[in-house]
Amino acid sequence: MFLIRVFLVSLFAYLFFGFLCIPFTIQGISMEPTYPDGGVNFCWRLRYLFSEPKRHEVVAVRFAGSRVMLLKRVVAREGEQVEFRAGRLYVNGKEIEEPYVRFPCNWNLPTRRVEKDCVYVVGDNRSMPIEGHHFGQTSRVRIIGAPLW
Amino acid sequence: MVKIKYLLAGVLMVIIGIVLATIVFPSEEKRVKKRFHLLSEWVSKSPEEGSLTMLQKMKDIGTLFLEPCELKSPNESLSGNYTRQEISAYAGSARSHFSHLHLKLYDLHVAFPEKEVAKVNLTARLIGKSKAGERVDEIRELDCLLKKMDRKWFFSQIEVIEILKK
Repeated sequence: MFLIRVFLVSLFAYLFFGFLCIPFTIQGISMEPTYPDGGVNFCWRLRYLFSEPKRHEVVAVRFAGSRVMLLKRVVAREGEQVEFRAGRLYVNGKEIEEPYVRFPCNWNLPTRRVEKDCVYVVGDNRSMPIEGHHFGQTSRVRIIGAPLW
Repeated sequence: MVKIKYLLAGVLMVIIGIVLATIVFPSEEKRVKKRFHLLSEWVSKSPEEGSLTMLQKMKDIGTLFLEPCELKSPNESLSGNYTRQEISAYAGSARSHFSHLHLKLYDLHVAFPEKEVAKVNLTARLIGKSKAGERVDEIRELDCLLKKMDRKWFFSQIEVIEILKK
């Protein structure tokens, strides 16, 4: 009986932490100060099962699988026009308030439209030159969840 | 009791047989993955690496590729066909800028769309430190095409997938 209980608990833990609530460590500074380098969190896979990512939400973007993910913030959705002017974000020509961006930013990016079934994601730390920051539009299917906190 | 003993011995022998068969005759998927592990091992560089090891690794890297091997990248200047010598030379030149380098591969999905052709989708992460002390951490998703020749798998095409399009 004890062994069965151990087996069931192990199976539950494997399924839960392996597929539903995946633990990860943050490596890199692109989401600072919201998510500091070295922090630990969980990717909740069911977050966007019945809803779509909204602007200002932080999402996990997958690569080939779920072992490596990018943590980014959604700033625009499909059909919207995104641009950066002197470090300020503009969506459809309107300036967007971003209280989570704490470091100085001087980015300039010409207007571009977010394609169908895509979202536009950017990190919170924009203190580096625009060429050195990994951001842009990504397919909706690559968003596999959101951090738990 | 004697019968159970024989039964257990039989089961044990079957298990050992299966394990040995998998080791001696690895599946094609394992053979393909082995090529990636070799690539990772030869691209990686430890701070203590000597010149002889470096030269050997440079030569070895080239042997993993078909001639020519096509590279497709969102960065147009890198796209094109490369010979083994060019790949070895580029790898050697790139490695020389780093004091240490580690190529990690994750989530390898192997498919066989045709006979003697393997398509592999994976995440590659290059971590290292340049000789100037700059930390490097680059992640890319890759689609690789490998072809089998003389019972060995060779990279014939590598495509860098653009995850985020500025």
